Amino acid sequence: MSKIDINILLGGPQGGGIDTSSTMVSRAFAYAGYPVLSTREYHSNIKGRHSYMHLRVKEVKPRSLKYPVDVLTALDPDTVFEHLINVGKGTRVIYDSSFEGSELDRSRMIMRDTVRRIRETLQKESLPENVKGMITLMERRGATSIAIPFSEIILDAVPEGPATRYFNTFGAAITLAILGVDLKYTEEAIKAAFSTKKHVIEPNLKVASAAYEYCESKKLRVTNLPRNGEPPKLMLTGNDAAAIGKVMGGLRFQSYYPITPASDESTVLEEHDSLHLLENEKNTLEKEGVTVIQTEDEIAAIAMASGASLTGAVTSTATSGPGFALMAEAISFAGMVEIPVVITLYQRGGPSTGLPTRNQQADLLFALNTGHGEFPRVVISSGDVEDCIYDSIRAINYAQRYQVPVIHLIDKYLANTVEVLNEIDTKRVKIVKPLISEEGGIIKRYTTDTNNGISPIGYFGKNIFWMTGDEHDELGHVTEDSVMREKQMEKRMRKEETIEAEIPVRDRVELFGDENAPVTIVTWGSQKGVVLDVIDDLREEGISAKMLFLKMFEPFPVDFVYTALKKSKTVIAVESNMVSQAAMVIEQRTSFKIENNILKYNGRHITEEELLDAVKKILSGAEKKVVLRNGA
Amino acid sequence: MVHKFTTDLTVDWCPGCGNFGILRALTMALSELKFDPEQVALVSGIGCSGKTPHYVNVAGMHTLHGRGIPFAAGIKLANPALNVIVTGGDGDLLGIGAGHFVGEGRRNSGLTILVFDNQVYGLTKGQSSPTMPMGMKTKGLFRPNILNRINPVTLALSSGYTFVARGFSFDTVQLKEIIKKGILHEGSAVIDILQPCPTYNNINTMEVYRKNVYKLEDDPSWDPVVNPGDEDELSAKFEKAYVRALEFGERIPTGIFFENRTMPGLPRRISEYVSGYMENPPATQVVSLDDGTTVVDPVETFRDKKIY
Repeated sequence: MSKIDINILLGGPQGGGIDTSSTMVSRAFAYAGYPVLSTREYHSNIKGRHSYMHLRVKEVKPRSLKYPVDVLTALDPDTVFEHLINVGKGTRVIYDSSFEGSELDRSRMIMRDTVRRIRETLQKESLPENVKGMITLMERRGATSIAIPFSEIILDAVPEGPATRYFNTFGAAITLAILGVDLKYTEEAIKAAFSTKKHVIEPNLKVASAAYEYCESKKLRVTNLPRNGEPPKLMLTGNDAAAIGKVMGGLRFQSYYPITPASDESTVLEEHDSLHLLENEKNTLEKEGVTVIQTEDEIAAIAMASGASLTGAVTSTATSGPGFALMAEAISFAGMVEIPVVITLYQRGGPSTGLPTRNQQADLLFALNTGHGEFPRVVISSGDVEDCIYDSIRAINYAQRYQVPVIHLIDKYLANTVEVLNEIDTKRVKIVKPLISEEGGIIKRYTTDTNNGISPIGYFGKNIFWMTGDEHDELGHVTEDSVMREKQMEKRMRKEETIEAEIPVRDRVELFGDENAPVTIVTWGSQKGVVLDVIDDLREEGISAKMLFLKMFEPFPVDFVYTALKKSKTVIAVESNMVSQAAMVIEQRTSFKIENNILKYNGRHITEEELLDAVKKILSGAEKKVVLRNGA
Repeated sequence: MVHKFTTDLTVDWCPGCGNFGILRALTMALSELKFDPEQVALVSGIGCSGKTPHYVNVAGMHTLHGRGIPFAAGIKLANPALNVIVTGGDGDLLGIGAGHFVGEGRRNSGLTILVFDNQVYGLTKGQSSPTMPMGMKTKGLFRPNILNRINPVTLALSSGYTFVARGFSFDTVQLKEIIKKGILHEGSAVIDILQPCPTYNNINTMEVYRKNVYKLEDDPSWDPVVNPGDEDELSAKFEKAYVRALEFGERIPTGIFFENRTMPGLPRRISEYVSGYMENPPATQVVSLDDGTTVVDPVETFRDKKIY
């Protein structure tokens, strides 16, 4: 059991430096030796609307986030208004005393529906419609409010101001001070956060010291956080991890069109386009780099990645639901002409533009069915930031080995969640070499004389062959001959059996916990961590549960899943969508119908306490379906 | 020589189709440039023009409707040493694929784009294409065309193409020369090729075009080329090209409208940032050792993600 378990929420206006605050808080804890987990929630907006970081600190690596938080730090009045739902007994609410008189009506950046709801809540409790009223309400719910004159303290430390420029550093520092993080770690974190803007480090350090002094003088510190061993080595988001995995797996060409929450992966690749080669290889290899191309649309993105793949380069694209929809025709083409290409699909709230910056897992069925006609594909999904690294390598391996489009599902929560990591294992997933034709000149690219359906690949620049989205003969020319049609269909689809036979079950589905546990929680994607935490919580309450974690949906590990579920007394599917898409896939593929569902579709991440609560409701027989509604 | 670049497939275009002239000019150009077939990639979209790669003995890719350009750009940017040619119809490149046509003007990857311009969608029975003038009624149309036309030459100029020309499918000698120059040009080239569709376009027939076309190069003062160092000529020559390209009707100019040699192609611009790109492009990079280990040091490559 972790003795230390701190949850923090720090919010402010978008464009107000919340990202920097997040980096400072995460880094300071990391320097003190604590592995942190944090995520970011934000609006589809550049400046002004509410944005926040939710972070958890434990002695061991946190796997999920939890409400209510221990500290809520508000850098603007909106943060106070928005987060009543996330405070509880013992929450310390830190805010600038000057916010107190701020009227709800003046918070023009809060969504109108939210304002209405906040107003009703305040009216019900006969409280004034301002920050003070909300603070009083939070106190009624057991919170302790800490009003601090932000500007006064900041201007004492940095008289030239302006005070608001330092709100984010002050907010991070006062939070860290109250939680007893040694100032030296906070100072290191500030230096790291401003490593590219060195001239602003000095005043920010002054602001941090002032925050610490204030905290001591007012005796606000609630604990003294001991150092927790060596700091972790790396701090990555899911976007970073996917980019890292891709270049490890051989990616050298990525084409993309900007879309939230996928484009950060491509910009991370672009920022790191000069590859550092492993020591022993330096002398034998030439310089290597990744070419990243921003295209005119997502159709061009997938087309360019597919074209580049024909030259022998390892290629991919990254997108989200709306862009993926545009790629459908080209994915079918890649299936038809057997192009190795990876599409990393960052799911966000749909349908349509939906919730562009919020989490959802509603594109599973779409990924499985995208593209007209019948062709083999691989669809995999990652569960945490670390998985994103190795799954990205696997995705490339599958594409190269089987010459199919591979769809790698990630979600917005993972894309924007920061995890710490101690190492990246360059040996964990070996890179698979494609079956390459040894001949030069004209080749029978689509020879049907292959038991496993895989015909040796040729490359433009070395070979001559043709390819067409029409049905084709072995050279790749158009044919409508009925027998050749059958042969080519059967050749392509034979790869499904080959994939099924070659990819080990452990890479497709995993059981966590006691194999014989009567309760099985089935999940996929970013719920991995929160389900694992809930299984631990249940164990403490004497309930034995296990997690069936799905990693590959196509080809689907039918036998393993069926056997595991058949043995369970109670099966519960946990998903961030409304119709329980993975449960639908399971039923379709195994005939096993999952009777209990826990679902969330408000776009926010699933937290530990709400999931535990829901599981217990189901186990008690009170509910068969629970919709999780937490989140601001 | 020509047969080296011709496959033994039955060409199934209609008798009298302008595509035959384009195919002939293209294979002659490739022969005269003495390319090895492996050095060339030919990429097409969908429609009658889309079949072209199958008839040419080079690496051929017959892609999706309108998407020839981005597939081709992927090939070129992953292996800039290849000569990548796009064949597409007017509907393919200027209708469904218009976004890519404009996008490639900005990129200037170094493609040679042949626009098979017959003003109709032939393979779907003669609907009007983006280059058909308003009010024209071909025999495939139920009523006169009520949509306005795109001028491929001015659109190419506006999009930023650095080589813009027009040919006529039955003047294969002139067309062959234009194609050769377009291929040798560093940036992307657009060649609008007037061609009859003997089945569906009974207005703009071979005879009509033969009567109306004239050659820009017949005027000795016509000089569309801007060489490095002569950047001050750019806007004047662009303007001349644009104005001349508006001429379309009784007299239709063919030849090279504009050739800007001052702008580096996208590969050269990429190589300013991605080290070793030209010598070791994505197509040729070694990504793993024999035992399947990655060659990339992930922590050092992403060292800004390190906490210490």
